[in-house]
Amino acid sequence: AVLNGIVRLSRALSSLDPGCFLQARAWLSAAANQGAQIPEERLRTIFRTHESNPANHSEQHEGQHYSIPLQEVKVVFPHGLPRRFQAQMKTFNEACLMVRRPALELLGYLKSTNFAHPAVRYIIYGEKGTGKTMTLCHAVHYCAKQDWLVLHIPDAHLWVKNRTELLPSSYHNERFDQPLEASTWLKNFKVSNERFLKEIKTQRTYVWSKRESTEMGSPLGEVVEQGVTRVKNASDAVGVVLKELKTQCPLGSFRLLVAVDGVNALWGRSTLRKKDKSAISPEELTLVHNLRKMVMNDWNGGAIVTTLSQTGSLFKPRSAYLPHELLGKEGFDTLDPFVPIQVPNYSQREFESCYQYYLDRKWLQHEKVGTEEGREELLFLSNSNPWQLERISASL
Amino acid sequence: MAVAVRRVLRASRSWRAALGGQERWRAETLRLICTTTAVQKRNVPASGPEKYTEAFIKKQIEEFNLGKRHLANMMGEDPETFTQEDIDKAIAYLFPSGLFEKRARPVMKHPNDIFPKQRAMQWGEDHRPFHFLFYTGKQSFYSLMHEIYGKMLDIQKYQDQLKAQDLDEKKQINLIGSRWLIKEELEEMLVEKLSDHDYSLCIRLLERLVTLPCCGIEEEYVLKFRKELDTQLKKVVIEPLQYDDQGVAFSTGEGKRKTSRATVIVYDNGNGKITVNGIDYLHYFPVIQDREQLMFPFQFLGRLGKHNMVCTVLGGGSSSQAGAIRLASARALCSFVTENEAEFMRQAGLLTYDPRNKERKKPGQEGARRKFTWKKR
Repeated sequence: AVLNGIVRLSRALSSLDPGCFLQARAWLSAAANQGAQIPEERLRTIFRTHESNPANHSEQHEGQHYSIPLQEVKVVFPHGLPRRFQAQMKTFNEACLMVRRPALELLGYLKSTNFAHPAVRYIIYGEKGTGKTMTLCHAVHYCAKQDWLVLHIPDAHLWVKNRTELLPSSYHNERFDQPLEASTWLKNFKVSNERFLKEIKTQRTYVWSKRESTEMGSPLGEVVEQGVTRVKNASDAVGVVLKELKTQCPLGSFRLLVAVDGVNALWGRSTLRKKDKSAISPEELTLVHNLRKMVMNDWNGGAIVTTLSQTGSLFKPRSAYLPHELLGKEGFDTLDPFVPIQVPNYSQREFESCYQYYLDRKWLQHEKVGTEEGREELLFLSNSNPWQLERISASL
Repeated sequence: MAVAVRRVLRASRSWRAALGGQERWRAETLRLICTTTAVQKRNVPASGPEKYTEAFIKKQIEEFNLGKRHLANMMGEDPETFTQEDIDKAIAYLFPSGLFEKRARPVMKHPNDIFPKQRAMQWGEDHRPFHFLFYTGKQSFYSLMHEIYGKMLDIQKYQDQLKAQDLDEKKQINLIGSRWLIKEELEEMLVEKLSDHDYSLCIRLLERLVTLPCCGIEEEYVLKFRKELDTQLKKVVIEPLQYDDQGVAFSTGEGKRKTSRATVIVYDNGNGKITVNGIDYLHYFPVIQDREQLMFPFQFLGRLGKHNMVCTVLGGGSSSQAGAIRLASARALCSFVTENEAEFMRQAGLLTYDPRNKERKKPGQEGARRKFTWKKR
């Protein structure tokens, strides 16, 4: 009865003072963890946590949403989040990520990495729409908070699709450049890692053309600038950045996280064609070639976290989600050995939490949605798949 | 008409007499076929429906009974106990017909079922009508109304008698499970055409009679105008539950829709997992509409997360497969559920086979309904 009073008080306060509300919530969650006997309806209301630093997330936060301040989002995730999540962020005016078990597992491994050993590769896999990209973003947020240098490629599939411009590479005769994709990526990379770009110095001179060159010892930011301004050299700039980071990371001045979403694109097929209509295989693209070198585990001082994705993949059946199916023999052999992390559908608790979050944000507008029957209907129609649930609730 | 035919024949004989004797016969028959009186007489008014005289109907009934005995003999059955069902089976056996329209197939029924009921002559030899209401035009209808009103007066007299004796009995007629005769049935009963207004008047009078407290006296008379409603579910057999090795109850069901055939096994004590052809239902039916169809029977009974289902479907497209599984699961769930709930399911349309099929393309049209583009010239 006392706790009921507390909940009512907290609810009354929530309309006045958000800070106080969060404290009350924290107290409630703390009380829950002490094993106090709260009836189930109250347990359901604990779907948020105020712990916004991923370093402190542990099992007690499982199933709860934590919010990232929008300013931080702009810096850490200029290009990482899924499109639907970005739309949701804009609607709700906050970015809330759910803490889930695969993410906690991954964070545990990252916390205990030995930087003297070669970089460990983690592959996040799972069925379509279970939250692999969100897990990756959670890891990226953690590393950004821990002050690592984050090399986040939002979707490797975008680099092997959508014929826009293909220039023959100036550096290597048989390869092809993709200036547009490279320049967009460089712009976003600059936003997220400003500090490092000033500190890291190049170890070689790079000659871009007759009149332009970057001297040895100049900050990496200049290379990035070169790529952004001279779009023709953007892909080569990307290659240079990757090479520099790879050579300098083992020296220990910074930690590097390579986060690639849709890594199976690097070993799949591409829809791009040469002028004579013959197909291009991914290794003939400069960006893909350099990225493949990055994903090898012949450097130390960081970690490589990747996601498999069927959604953007080319020529792969919809039911494929296992690493062997999506990577193919070549990719699997290259990435072997790796640590697999499977992301399943929502558990009971996670589904409940997501449902309560949507109700709280007044996203579910249907009159019967708050009832038990409405909840069961949602559960059945989405089968606890996060993507399905989000799509269904968007139309309610 | 017969007179006219004879005239023709004589005419033929007169000028065909010149021909040889043998040819005359052939010529006469030829003549008969070629010219009929319908061609000669032009102002013949259309005759109404054929009138069957009583003698004719009696003769038909005698013939029918004789024929029935012959048929029983032919089939080797006992003529005394040969029912109408046996006649139908025998005729279907002796005269197999491939016609699709059941009413076009050979039939042997009692003449009363075949020949429509017709009125006997309403007036005698002196051409005066028998019935006193003949000149109203609707004699049976008005006489019926008078009869019912007479019954109402009787009931009121009886009520007054009871009141005089200080007894207070109430006898009501039980109208549950029956309905009033529809207009067509009443017309059949009276052998007379009714208008909608007349029919509504009759029913209103009967309702008024039924509201009287002591109408139980005339119950027999009133029930002549009521027809029993039989609940369809009595025809549906509900299978009992089966139990598998671990003691979990399960039940099977089959369903079809368009070209799909589905077999479904519904297990009790489940968590809501559904597998279709070995694949999870979320992957097999990416469209929400199909999943809603799967959900309908469980949601209707309020048993969404309580059963597991394993289905096999063959044929058809995604929508028709979903419809087939829905029917099959509804039928399977009947065994888990009380009879009342099963009746609710039937009324909700969950247990009815959907007879809609692809409509046939007709010649002269581009599709089933679409006509070719109409060009003015």
